[in-house]
Amino acid sequence: MAPRAVATYLLGGKALDGTAVSAKYIGDRRLIETAIATLATDRALLLLGVPGTAKSWVSEHLAAAISGDSTVVIQCTAGTDENQIRYGWNYAQLLAHGLSRQALVPTPLLRAMEGGKLCRLEELTRMGSDVQDTLITVLSEKMMPVPELNEAVYARRGFNVIATANNRDKGVNELSSALKRRFNVVVLPLPDDMEQEIAIVTRRVGEMALSLDLPAPKNVAQEVARVVAIFRELRGGATLDGRITLKTPSGTLSTAEAIAVMVGGLSQATYFNDGRLSAEGVAPNMIGAIVKDPVQDKTVLEEYLETVLKKRPDYAEYYRMLVDLV
Amino acid sequence: MAAALQIFGIRHHGPGSARRLLEALDALRPSTVLIEGPSDASELLPMLADAAMVPPVALLTYAVDEPARAIFWPLAAYSPEYQAACWAARNGAAARFIDLPASWRLASEAPPSKAADDGAKEPDPARDDLLERDPIGVLAAAGGYQDGESWWRDVIEENSRPGPVFAAIADAMTALREAAPPVHGLEAAREAHMRLEIAKAAKDTEGAVAVVCGAWHVPALQQKASAAADRALLKGAPKQKIAATWAPWTAPRLAFASGYGAGVAAPGWCAHLWDRPRAAIVTSWLAKIAAALRDEGHLVSTASLIEAERLAVGLAALRDRPAPGFEELREAAVACLCFGEALVWDTISRRVLIGADVGYIPDDVPLAPLLEDLQREQKRLRLKPEALERDLAIDLRSESGLDRSTLLHRLVLLDVPWGRLTDAGRSRGTFRERWMLRWEPEFAVQLVENLVHGPTIAQAAAGRLRGAFLQASDLKTLADLVLAALTARLPDAVASGIGRLERRAAQTSDCAELLRALPPVVNTVRYGQARATDAAQMEFLLARILVQGALALPYAARGLDAASASAMRDVVRGADTAVTLAAIGGAERAAWHDALRAIMRDAQATPLLAGAAASLLYEAEAFPPDEATLLLGRALSPGRAVADAAGFFEGFFDGGGARLIHDQGLRNAVDRWMLGLEADVFVEHLPLFRRAFSTLDRMQRRRLLDALFGRAAVGLPGRSLAPDAATIWPRHSRASAHCCRRGWPMTEDRDRRWRLALGGEDEALSQADQRLSGALTALYGEGNADDKKRRGGLGASAPHVARWMSDIRAYFPSPVVQIVQKDAFDRLGLQRMLLEPEFLAAVEADINLVANLIALRNVMPEKTKETARHVIAKVVAALMERLERKTAEVSRVTVHLVQLGRQRQ
Repeated sequence: MAPRAVATYLLGGKALDGTAVSAKYIGDRRLIETAIATLATDRALLLLGVPGTAKSWVSEHLAAAISGDSTVVIQCTAGTDENQIRYGWNYAQLLAHGLSRQALVPTPLLRAMEGGKLCRLEELTRMGSDVQDTLITVLSEKMMPVPELNEAVYARRGFNVIATANNRDKGVNELSSALKRRFNVVVLPLPDDMEQEIAIVTRRVGEMALSLDLPAPKNVAQEVARVVAIFRELRGGATLDGRITLKTPSGTLSTAEAIAVMVGGLSQATYFNDGRLSAEGVAPNMIGAIVKDPVQDKTVLEEYLETVLKKRPDYAEYYRMLVDLV
Repeated sequence: MAAALQIFGIRHHGPGSARRLLEALDALRPSTVLIEGPSDASELLPMLADAAMVPPVALLTYAVDEPARAIFWPLAAYSPEYQAACWAARNGAAARFIDLPASWRLASEAPPSKAADDGAKEPDPARDDLLERDPIGVLAAAGGYQDGESWWRDVIEENSRPGPVFAAIADAMTALREAAPPVHGLEAAREAHMRLEIAKAAKDTEGAVAVVCGAWHVPALQQKASAAADRALLKGAPKQKIAATWAPWTAPRLAFASGYGAGVAAPGWCAHLWDRPRAAIVTSWLAKIAAALRDEGHLVSTASLIEAERLAVGLAALRDRPAPGFEELREAAVACLCFGEALVWDTISRRVLIGADVGYIPDDVPLAPLLEDLQREQKRLRLKPEALERDLAIDLRSESGLDRSTLLHRLVLLDVPWGRLTDAGRSRGTFRERWMLRWEPEFAVQLVENLVHGPTIAQAAAGRLRGAFLQASDLKTLADLVLAALTARLPDAVASGIGRLERRAAQTSDCAELLRALPPVVNTVRYGQARATDAAQMEFLLARILVQGALALPYAARGLDAASASAMRDVVRGADTAVTLAAIGGAERAAWHDALRAIMRDAQATPLLAGAAASLLYEAEAFPPDEATLLLGRALSPGRAVADAAGFFEGFFDGGGARLIHDQGLRNAVDRWMLGLEADVFVEHLPLFRRAFSTLDRMQRRRLLDALFGRAAVGLPGRSLAPDAATIWPRHSRASAHCCRRGWPMTEDRDRRWRLALGGEDEALSQADQRLSGALTALYGEGNADDKKRRGGLGASAPHVARWMSDIRAYFPSPVVQIVQKDAFDRLGLQRMLLEPEFLAAVEADINLVANLIALRNVMPEKTKETARHVIAKVVAALMERLERKTAEVSRVTVHLVQLGRQRQ
């Protein structure tokens, strides 16, 4: 598709012939345009964001829209080694015929280069830094040397890389600046709009409760609104009315975590609290989500409890439970 | 006439339209240039072309009797109005302002208190206002542009079929105005005035007439309206005497964000567009961003710049724009130069987008308003500027006193120290201030320099404070500034300062910073109450900073070295005083005491702070003397390292040694504890007592001893038996009996111990004790807290010091000696002594000493160096031995483990 058609495909709108196209991503139009322009200028694209910000979703749709194939993908993990990025060898062939192209096992990346397609690298930073750096030559010269055969594979027109990575996770491998420089980076944000986020959480919690056979009590929506409000305040570093500025904890407090907290609370309610969903069930899960660093985050939470939550009558139960737990 | 008249609709502060305007003027070559601006300030126009005038500048008009009512018309280098005036001066054309006179506007301004600090605010509703002010910006926004200049460039300048630009704008505006409601009131009067002026100019002049005005007005000026109707609109012009001048302006205040209604979003971007040739705009803008990023310490390579430019071009193509504009460049910079982090962009965006240009006004421009304002105030408050020093006492409860104080405070803020506050007034109650007045001629110049901040003293002071708020980086500075704003009665500045303070308080987690801000915040609250200001927000903030500081304190009190611990102690003491003074709720006070209690009980807390916390709690009567005994016993028990115990003791008694004289409970606690120590442990702790009590002077020591033993003070008439003797004695006899049973020292020993602990009055002691006491007295003095008058000090004689050292080593165990030695270095400046070989041989070798020696190595004579080497070698050998022992241990364990592993296999 042409770049502008890709934008329409992702963001929704009307195609040239007037067909209505549904939106695949709801959010900032400019970010998606930057992503598409990056790929159009032959630069590799890195999508950053906290978990649950639709990075993989966007990368999948971009690949599908641009090269018609979203299955050329490498899932990067701590165990991914160079053979899974560059190429491996078929040892039977190798022993039988010696070093030859037939004995070479191409990886998705190599196949994308040969086929002029988009290759997706999921969770790039989970892969060891030394392995990440094998991408440098591929990205800057669009070429992969095969020194064993004394030749090189040159990428066909159309080849490019979309990588996704988590930018607030601890314990992943930092991108080397040499590699980072070869990507254009687009950071996908968490939802701006509170109503939208509450709706997302309520829907996902409903779906998950259904699949886990957890009956959903009536007050789920109400508790979701409270949890999302607390999460948004802590994440955004200010109360929702904008009056008081707050410190932010080291965790991400993403929408995905709010969902997890609510599902945890639901399951506790079902099995240990006669089906009643209350602050007692939800608060311990919240502590787990908020306090990731025992010293720093605890102070942040204490401060939040004392300066903000204490003064809100409708959060009294949460305040009491959280103070007890802290 | 009609052929020679041309109206150029421009965009205020639009570099694109300025450029086009110059081209058009060159083509038309008018003999008269009429510019939108107050017609009664026309005589100031030629000054714009003065080479010494550096934009941004603002045309300032104000009511003569009340400069607080003022209007600014800021002009930047890229403002079409400014360029038109310069063009006229260059080409010998007449230039005139044609808008409604400023007197009209000033008279119809809203009440003076509402006249915004930054002036130039239109009272119209927001939407209409925006359309009138920047119709091109509105058109651009409708076209999906965030930056009107990019739209101008794309649609008007990069248009493949360039037509008559100004005609096109006029058409567009005509269409816009047809859709908009008709103008009324002041706007209608303005346009009528301009029409009349244009007609007059067209009649009077020979050559062509060019009119430069906001695009919005073009259709109204072109339309044929009857002069009579226009005159009717202008009837009843209000009478208002005004004065006009040029004032220097700053780039940040051209920005819309500064509150200047007709401002631009990014003055830095506009200046860039004006400065650079069109072809170089993209590249040099990215280079500017890169330079700013590099200054912030980010790595930005040239290759990334190339990629950013490519991305910007790609984005422009995707968005169907002829060239990358402001938004494309921003997004490309974020994606390629900031690695996608908008936060990184935010750190430099202010600098890049706003800039920091400051205008300059030539010396011959009248710069009166601030001086006039000062003269008026002086007259009103009957304060004459005098070159001789004069004392002035002000009672803040009277109206005139308050006004006088306010004026003086404001002038201090403006760097015009006419009055000097001789006492803060707080020691004598908050209602009184004493000033020392002296006027220097250069104050006038200093005052005038503040014109950039505002036309009156109050506004200039507020403006200057706002600037200071932006630059202040720590809480204490901010809190001090808020207090200054409050004392100078600048409510707007107070509000914005409190906002900044609040944000900063939320961001910081530095306990010391929070606590340091407490005293000024408390003063602000108290002061606000005394001056009947609404300080509710500040009270809330105070509670919040306090709670935050209290929560952070236990962590901040851990693992500090000597210097930072003593700094922290001062901070904690200051905060505690503030807490005591402050009118805060019990919950907050309890939080503070909880924090102190947490430090006191925390085994990891720095002992000095733990001691200080305990002492503060004790002062606050948060625990009884009995508990103090327990606490001292625990803190100073033999299991604790001597250095820790010393720290605690020092912290507890710092500046509070005198308390023992008055506080019987505490005295008993210390007494009990001291008598409970084993004889040798007591001697070991002796230096600690001396350290803590070294702040007591001779008389205080004597009184303390008297209090302890219930004796009448010698030479103090009117004093007999201690008033509490009746209660002391039974307890003492009990204690003595207790001691007897345990085989512990009796009263005599008690006497000895206290004498040793306090120093002085040695004659009652045994020979050996006298030597012991003398050794300590040499260092810690006896009776004079004042260092210079120390009696029996060690002096500068090296053999003396060496003997003293060996005494000290004979009496005390090694860890105590190290503390004493360190004190000796700190208190007596024994550095010099280290240069003497015999002294060096006598000192206890430890790592501190080595550090001292190394620091002195350049000034050390050769023969001392030899000894120093020996000493260092000794310390190094000891260290090596310890390390080797550890290493050997580790390798032995490793070998063992490896063997174990083998056996398993």
